[in-house]
Amino acid sequence: MAELNANGATLTFELASSGDGSALVKVAGELDITTIEDLEEAVQPVIARDPKRLVIDVSSLRFADSSAIALWVKWSTAVPELEIRDPQPLLRRVIDSMGLAQTLRVTP
Amino acid sequence: MAANNGEETVSARRPDGRGWPYRAVVAVGVVGLLVTVGLIVVSTILYHNNENRLLKLRTRDIGSVLTAAVPSVLTSVGSTATFAEATNGNAGKFDKFAGQYVGQGSGRPFASMSLWRVDNPAGGPTTVVGAQPKLAATMDKAPALFARAAATHKLTVLGLLDGPAPRIGYAFVEPGTNGPYAVYAESALPAKRYSAPQTDSSFTDINYALYLGKDPTAKTLLITSAPRVPLPGHRAVVTIPFGDTFLTVRATRRSSLAGSLPRDLPWLIGIVGVLLTIGAAALTIRLIQRRRRTEQLADRLEQVADENRRLYAEQRSIAQTLQHALLPAELPQLHGLQTSARYEAGVEGVDIGGDWYDAIAVDDKRLLLVVGDVSGRGLRAATTMAALRYGIHAYAAQGDKPATILTKLNALVSVKSSGQLATVLCVMVDPDARELTLTSAGHLPPLLISDGRGEFVKTDVGLPIGVDRHASYTSTTVTVAPGATLLAFTDGLVERRGESIDVGLGRLREHATSNHATLDELLTRVVSNLREDGSDDDTAIAGIRWLS
Repeated sequence: MAELNANGATLTFELASSGDGSALVKVAGELDITTIEDLEEAVQPVIARDPKRLVIDVSSLRFADSSAIALWVKWSTAVPELEIRDPQPLLRRVIDSMGLAQTLRVTP
Repeated sequence: MAANNGEETVSARRPDGRGWPYRAVVAVGVVGLLVTVGLIVVSTILYHNNENRLLKLRTRDIGSVLTAAVPSVLTSVGSTATFAEATNGNAGKFDKFAGQYVGQGSGRPFASMSLWRVDNPAGGPTTVVGAQPKLAATMDKAPALFARAAATHKLTVLGLLDGPAPRIGYAFVEPGTNGPYAVYAESALPAKRYSAPQTDSSFTDINYALYLGKDPTAKTLLITSAPRVPLPGHRAVVTIPFGDTFLTVRATRRSSLAGSLPRDLPWLIGIVGVLLTIGAAALTIRLIQRRRRTEQLADRLEQVADENRRLYAEQRSIAQTLQHALLPAELPQLHGLQTSARYEAGVEGVDIGGDWYDAIAVDDKRLLLVVGDVSGRGLRAATTMAALRYGIHAYAAQGDKPATILTKLNALVSVKSSGQLATVLCVMVDPDARELTLTSAGHLPPLLISDGRGEFVKTDVGLPIGVDRHASYTSTTVTVAPGATLLAFTDGLVERRGESIDVGLGRLREHATSNHATLDELLTRVVSNLREDGSDDDTAIAGIRWLS
């Protein structure tokens, strides 16, 4: 678990991987331009191990700006399968408004 | 010198300063020393009171010892007198009996004993044991002495017989008789009547002087342990009866009676007090210096903060200048159509943003209105924004339709390589036909206002630019009423943390549908009302209005 705090925005994230070749990143707090680099840096090694699936659990993420969504789209091009799991309604609405629900495989 | 200079600089920079900073140190020092002196005085007084009390007790002890010793003199002289009376003044028997009291050693208090006749003192002693009595050398004193002894039947003390070997003489006449026999004895006193203090005595810590009678003078001094009399300093006095006179003891302390700790306590208090005072003063100096350093640091930080504010303002102004340089200087005006746009930097924005608007005249009849937003901030976002903006100009000039333009834009941005996305809304406006053709690459829908009612135009939303190189887009065409207004904007206008964008969209609709005379006023009001709480994101908004 790592915690970041910049300009009042707080981001925490956890990395885990399961035996079936999928990796899980749980992100909580606020993800914006002040915190995104750290997340990208932390997940880079996970992607470098070529997981079959990358699951981003965003159930506890209160806010994500467009650069965060861009980062997820970038990840989606780097792994065979990406899943944005359980976004809160506000975030779900933003993803939908950008037409990215399918690209990011938002579940449920 | 360097430190002095530094201090002078500080006081010069603080003309309202609190004066000399070390007054507190002086105060601490003065208070500490006063307390120390007070404690020294109190402990000294207590020490002396206690010493004087102990001296009094010791002197009383001496009195008790003397009182216990006096009867041995009295008994020796008295029993010899009784024996002389009983043996009718037999000189031989007297010599033998008195011999036990004369000489040196324990139980022999006298240097000389002699038998006299009361009725004939001038005749001298009948017999003498031990040394020749000194009385014999001053015979004029003898009659009065024996007369007194015969009258009182007490141990009659002749007094001090001074000389190189001083003595004290006593006479006694057996009670119940008028003589004729009197016993006279003399005890030796030490030379010069000085007896060096004995180290094994219980009185080593005091000096005493023993006087005959109640009037202590040099002439009545019998024996002293001090090299000179009268004894200096505080004296305790005790007087005890001795025959027909008295013995007076004066005593002074030779050393501390209560021990060395009470004696040294005032010194210890003084040393500890001074050390504590110095320590407290040093601590105060350190605290003062630390506070001054903190104040200097605070001043320095204030300067840095000022400098930062200045740099921030400068950078913000550079960013805004650059931003405006990348936006169209003026919008093309078409017949029957008002066009207006705003760009607002975020409150915290020192970085240039990736939002933009544009309006391009297409074949003199139509207007291509564009609003877009590149993800992220800074020069990278601005560069991508500029590329997209000029790309749209180029493709529009080629005669491409908006859907084709958007597909082609995907060649300019790739999220895979740059991590950037862009949402773009293209609105092809045909003023004469009152038709709008909308194409969206992941962008928020525009607000269409007609007859005071606002509605977000439903369009198909394609992928943002940069996701898929071959993304395709579908356009939606709507016909508008005369006098209608269209507002296209970026998410900075409606997006707030912790709030659904639907709430922001609703707020926009509410503010945009109240009455406004001109399109310019409408944009001004919408921007100021929706951003009054200070959004940290940039916002671009562009509007068109049909004049009829």
